Amino acid sequence: MIGSQPRPESSQGGVVQAVIQNIINGTMMGCIYALITLGLSLIFGVMNIVNFAHGDFVMISMYFTFWASSLWAIETVATPLITFPFLFLFGILTYYLIIHKTLREKYVIQIAITVGLMTFLRAVAQLLWKASPRAISYSIVQGTFVIGNYTIMMSRFTSAVVSVAVIYLFSLFLNHTWQGRAIRAASDDLDAASLMGISYKWTYALAFGLGTAITAIAGGMLMTFQQVDPTMGLRFGLLSFCILALAGLGTTLGIIISGVIVGIAESLAMGMWDPRASSLVVYMIFILVLWLKPRGLFGRK
Amino acid sequence: MQNLQTMKQKRSIPYTAIVLFIIALVLPILFRRSQYNLILLTTVVMYGVLATSWNIIGGMAGQFDLAAGAYLGLGAFTSGTLLIRWDITPWLGMPAGGLIAIGFAVLIGYPLFRFRVREVWYALSSAALVSVLRVAFLMWEEVGGPTERYIPYHDWSFYHLRFSSYIPFYYIMLILLVIALFINHWLSRRKLGYYLLALGDNEDAAEILGVNAQACKLKALMIYAFIGGMVGGLYACLYGFIHPKFFSNTMSLEVAILGIVGGMGITYGPLLAAAILVSMREFLRASLGGQMQSLYLGIYSFVLIIIVLFKPQGLGALLRDIYSRLNYIFRKESPKP
Amino acid sequence: MVNNKAILKIEGITKRFGNLVAVDNVSFEIYKGEVLGLIGPNGAGKTTLFNTITGLLLADGGKVYFKNQDITNEKPYKICKLGMSRTFQVTQSFISMSVEDAVRVGAYNRHDERKVEDQVNQMIEFFGLNAIRKKKCEELGLAPLKRVEVARAMATDPDLLLLDEAGAGLNASEMSELMEMLKEINREKGTTLCIVEHVMKMVMGICQRIVVLDYGELIASGTPEQISSNQKVIEAYLGKRAVK
Ligand SMILES: Nc1ncnc2c1ncn2[C@@H]1O[C@H](COP(=O)(O)OP(=O)(O)OP(=O)(O)O)[C@@H](O)[C@H]1O
Ligand SMILES: [Mg+2]
Repeated sequence: MIGSQPRPESSQGGVVQAVIQNIINGTMMGCIYALITLGLSLIFGVMNIVNFAHGDFVMISMYFTFWASSLWAIETVATPLITFPFLFLFGILTYYLIIHKTLREKYVIQIAITVGLMTFLRAVAQLLWKASPRAISYSIVQGTFVIGNYTIMMSRFTSAVVSVAVIYLFSLFLNHTWQGRAIRAASDDLDAASLMGISYKWTYALAFGLGTAITAIAGGMLMTFQQVDPTMGLRFGLLSFCILALAGLGTTLGIIISGVIVGIAESLAMGMWDPRASSLVVYMIFILVLWLKPRGLFGRK
Repeated sequence: MQNLQTMKQKRSIPYTAIVLFIIALVLPILFRRSQYNLILLTTVVMYGVLATSWNIIGGMAGQFDLAAGAYLGLGAFTSGTLLIRWDITPWLGMPAGGLIAIGFAVLIGYPLFRFRVREVWYALSSAALVSVLRVAFLMWEEVGGPTERYIPYHDWSFYHLRFSSYIPFYYIMLILLVIALFINHWLSRRKLGYYLLALGDNEDAAEILGVNAQACKLKALMIYAFIGGMVGGLYACLYGFIHPKFFSNTMSLEVAILGIVGGMGITYGPLLAAAILVSMREFLRASLGGQMQSLYLGIYSFVLIIIVLFKPQGLGALLRDIYSRLNYIFRKESPKP
Repeated sequence: MVNNKAILKIEGITKRFGNLVAVDNVSFEIYKGEVLGLIGPNGAGKTTLFNTITGLLLADGGKVYFKNQDITNEKPYKICKLGMSRTFQVTQSFISMSVEDAVRVGAYNRHDERKVEDQVNQMIEFFGLNAIRKKKCEELGLAPLKRVEVARAMATDPDLLLLDEAGAGLNASEMSELMEMLKEINREKGTTLCIVEHVMKMVMGICQRIVVLDYGELIASGTPEQISSNQKVIEAYLGKRAVK
């Protein structure tokens, strides 16, 4: 289970208050999920590369944050300054070393190779940081503040705000810079884009690098309030594919809304039903969406 | 695919198969002193069974299924629960587990294929299914729950399928392997097999030629689920307990990977991959042991990536290339009169 | 040969992609035993019409009757079982299968395990695929690939075969070979053919009747002579060329 949800006090406020408290928590968590999904949407939505290891990049980012914060005493919130460029390079390297060769293969081969990558990252994490969960000892964004009857954790609140801000900056980047437009052009029509003088190899590498680097920010934010262990990657991976399925491909706002929906569903299931039920609910939503709305709630493709 | 081989190669397959089968029969006698080696052998054969049956849905029908753990878990819980609660023999429990797995496969597969959930999304939803079942069984206290449920101990009982040695398990698993291989081989020269291969390659074109894709995929899924459920029933007895962690994503992923590394649609490929990779994994695990806990996983996945990167057609195809090359050299040097 | 009995009847078929009306209220009939040409400039909606008839796309309006049976939006495999098959403009091959296995997939449509081998051999023989029958479809060039597509479609024993640009990309001798083959199919097996083709020589050479689509609409139908002097058709083609 990810993070310990602050349990609402039961007695007086009653069910309504508990529900609202869970919705608040879920919304904040959902924003971070949306940020993770944004990275995947660059990789899968734009380049059509099936990356099963995406969640494991998040996991690795969280460990890097842990290192940066515990070895060099860097403030957790500031660690993305170091981990972002690092994961960017890591993503580019991964693209050139293994992903590029699979572009023209069947999707099956891409799944196989990224599952291999996933296992590899997990093994590396286990080797470097052992199997036991790790958490940072201190961050400036600690404590809680209270609005009315509701308690809000400072760390989650900050993370949500940062996530939304980063998502916004990214959509600006995609829409208004030359590189961003190149990425979108390459996704719309590879041949036309290469005719216009866009090197698709570099554009893809860039998109893959950015998609990976975004997980550095998400990982840094997640680390401010929860632990990391080597096996949590697959869960993030499935979760972000789930949100992507819900959002449909191609809309940033859709990703945020879907992320929040999933976050709230998870939080409500955890708080109101059974702590273990969160993933149950999320995957049920996922399977239902695939059955009923294969193009997502906000899809356009 | 056998159909690509020349008639000569076709005939030579049974001989090779018979030799390998005899070796498989003798192996446990060679290793009888070491329980560790015996369970290793059994594990290799088990992955062989799972990957071979995965070949039907994944390799032939082209549906990247990641739910092997779901069917295995269902089989284990069916057979285990029947044995623990009502003392019903696993010999009935195994097929019962297979049937429950089939029921579940239909429940899930029917809407998925009906609504044309394809490719990545099929893969992901089957992976999600494993997680859903794991959590559901963790929460379902009557049957599952967070603690292991142990199967009553018997020193040597065929009725309860409990033995103080792994040898009987090995042989039963071997029977399942032969069944799985036989089904694969039989399918590959039947209408359903050709239909599956066709729709795995190109669904639209297959349907235009009269292939009912939805029904064929469902049939493939049912066969695969049944074998998975049977293996699960045996798995419970082999380990002596049932636990929701049997619904394992890792194992499901590994089965699919073995299917791909072995060569999609090649009957003997997945078994070959299981024999090489699973024993390599276990060997690494044993020899690296304590201090380097996860190094084996790192090496293992590294080898996987290398194979998929440089031989996407799989080990089966590689072996076939080598075989025909050898054949060629051999014939050249000594032409038959 | 033409006995004016409709084998396929299309009534007001419409197919939209978003705002684009790719096929707009098209009606015509295909008579039993004839060779019908379906022509029109690029993007006229010919392939889309084929896809709608064969059930790969769902129609937004209209009806399709095959042998007096309503097959509108029926599943492709059911339509095939009724006796209709087709080839694709962009070849859709079974890349991992051998030529004879690809043909076998079609042959299973009407033949059980015992008789399927005969059907496969017959088709391989008829389409002259003997030399490459063991080859993987992946390894084939465009011309043999197109031939395999016709062979596997014919292996389903169709009464009506829809051919979508079977001649595109072939050189002159391959082209005339294909024409002979199609004529033979029509003559000997009595299969009704509907041919989409850009190469006028082929269309004029083997079609007994022609219908013309432009921007999704049916603009003319008649014998080759009537069509080649039809003002609307000439405009449709010239207009297209003038734009280029
Ligand atoms: N899947 C689709 N989604 C959106 N538009 C489509 C789709 N398929 C076809 N179209 C559009 O529908 C119109 C008709 O296309 P169609 O392929 O049927 O033409 P055609 O007559 O076969 O042309 P050609 O001679 O080039 O093969 C075109 O404008 C095409 O761009
Ligand atoms: Mg066309």
